[in-house]
Amino acid sequence: MTADLNATTASISPDTDPETLDSVASTPPDQPRMPRGSRRGFRKRGRFTKWFAIIWLVLLTFTAVGASWLPYVKHDCSQFANKLDCSTFDKGSPIKLERPPAWAGFSQSNKPTTPTAPVRAGWFGTDSNGFDIFSRAMFGARNSLLIGALSILFGLIVGSILGLLAGFIGGKLDRVIDTVMNVLLAFPALLLAIFIVGFFSNSSAAQAENRSIGPVIIALSILSVPPLTRLMRANTLVYSQREFVTAARSIGASRFRIMVKEILPNVVPTMLTFALTGMAVLIVAEGALAYLGLSVNSPTPTWGSMIASGQTKLKDAWWISIMPAATMFITILCINLLGDVLSERFRIREAIG
Amino acid sequence: MRYIGQKFIQLLIVLFAVTFTVSLALSALPNSKERILAAKSVNPANVEAANAVLDSLHLRDSQIKQYGYFMKDLVTGDWGVTFQGNQSIKTSIWDGLQISLRLMVYAQVIALLLAIPIAIISAYRNGGFFDRTATTTSFGMLSLPSYILAPLFILLFSVRWGWFTSRSENTSLFDDPWQHFKDYFMPTLVLALPLAATYMRLLRADLIATLQGDFITTARAKGLSTSRILLGHALRPSTFSLVTAAALNTGTLVGGSLVVETAFGLNGLGFKTVVGIFGNEFRLVQITVLVLAMIYVFVNFFVDIAYGWIDPRIRAARALT
Repeated sequence: MTADLNATTASISPDTDPETLDSVASTPPDQPRMPRGSRRGFRKRGRFTKWFAIIWLVLLTFTAVGASWLPYVKHDCSQFANKLDCSTFDKGSPIKLERPPAWAGFSQSNKPTTPTAPVRAGWFGTDSNGFDIFSRAMFGARNSLLIGALSILFGLIVGSILGLLAGFIGGKLDRVIDTVMNVLLAFPALLLAIFIVGFFSNSSAAQAENRSIGPVIIALSILSVPPLTRLMRANTLVYSQREFVTAARSIGASRFRIMVKEILPNVVPTMLTFALTGMAVLIVAEGALAYLGLSVNSPTPTWGSMIASGQTKLKDAWWISIMPAATMFITILCINLLGDVLSERFRIREAIG
Repeated sequence: MRYIGQKFIQLLIVLFAVTFTVSLALSALPNSKERILAAKSVNPANVEAANAVLDSLHLRDSQIKQYGYFMKDLVTGDWGVTFQGNQSIKTSIWDGLQISLRLMVYAQVIALLLAIPIAIISAYRNGGFFDRTATTTSFGMLSLPSYILAPLFILLFSVRWGWFTSRSENTSLFDDPWQHFKDYFMPTLVLALPLAATYMRLLRADLIATLQGDFITTARAKGLSTSRILLGHALRPSTFSLVTAAALNTGTLVGGSLVVETAFGLNGLGFKTVVGIFGNEFRLVQITVLVLAMIYVFVNFFVDIAYGWIDPRIRAARALT
């Protein structure tokens, strides 16, 4: 599943047939066709990576939820009565400095330029405001995961309803929904998101201080609706031909009942699996918005803005952007791996075809 | 013919919707009038001057009229001037478009050049060491957005090894080819690597399926060389989803170019859009967004057409729906 943001949101084009749709829909197209000999090697790798992915994501969720009460420095040093508690504060002088990660002190070139090195450096080092990058990354995880999860949730709800209606009722409604989705897909995904956030956030884009989480979530939800609608519609079409639906219809079940009780439960695993990979895509999209300075306001950390803020200082302090970038990379990788495992489990490929 | 007609009507609907949304965005802006006046540094108390500015953007007309004027300006090429500095938007867009298109074409070409040989080798020795390495690497590449790759590349190529500068100028290919290469190397690679991973996975999967076909066994039985079988017989029938993906990923490229141009300071359309949003250059942003969306819409349209042309089965299948 591509992590590149348009790939899911935009690459299911107006007219992709199920074949293309499902290659996007998170099964790596190669897995089922693999000859037996090579498959064993992959499966062994799969088991290890699956657990790695699960552990990482559980830990990350835990950190994200508990960022404010876990025993680690907060990203804002001002809340400490004793400034020395804030590990990043330069002892003796109020000048805040970039500090390398604690484990990177071995290299001479990584040593801080001032002789008064801190007693304890953070795991990820500190940024040029003297804030600890690890704790900022924790809070960034909270923002990124929250935005990703909420927007995929909205997208899932809206997309499921629209797809179910379009697939089951069909006719004119189907055509209208299809046209609307075509129009939404006509914009490249990130461009649409930037356009929405940049133009329609409540405050002027220049005063980023007032920008809240709302417009970002709206923009990302809009991005996630069309692919989910299409997937739901394709699945509904498949299931509405099945015998149990005919049976339900023949005993006089209402259309609403058939949709909710007969079709929906069958489609849920597929949708959730797709939503998981979709969430990775949306986290990437949020990161891109934040990188361009268009996500939540600037003192609130998100991974994207942390990467952007360190990019001009790569020469002196590589850790400012590389550490959040690494965190983000591992997170996206884990979500993708898990999505892969799940889609193999639920046989998404067969379900769509 | 009917297929093309259908596609064309669809294109018209999409074009209408895109232009309509973009044109009305200006007046749908929260506090649009105040903000535009502020951007133009006109005092709202000065009613005449304020009205002159609003009229030049047709903001005081009804929405339908606004759309009409917007389309007229768009077609006649009268795209107006930037809010600050009164520069022609048209020249600005034209300069940016050249850079962006160049970047996108380079990235697409490099991605294909990387993906096709790797996919062929992987598919040929399916399950071998090279294949496993390539598949795993490509999976990792898929999780690498451009804004993670960009700092990494700058760190490696420009800070550690000092091969390239971290800010790219736009040097013409013909003036100074070496400098041109140095300017576009990192942005192109950042855009191309994730694309190459996508393409490689698609092509590899299709090639593996094709290689199990009977005609490959026949070709082998005839005694054809491996390279002849792979390149002459197996490659062409396998490129179908690759072509689709390449077209669809224009959207990825457009989005990626926003990030990459900002990361490397290339003054293309994407960079202009981002800067424009922060500088309250709403008119400029409208046009850049429109131009970028148009690139995507038209590429998709032509690929759809070409598609039915290449493979009559598609035409038939599509006609049914």
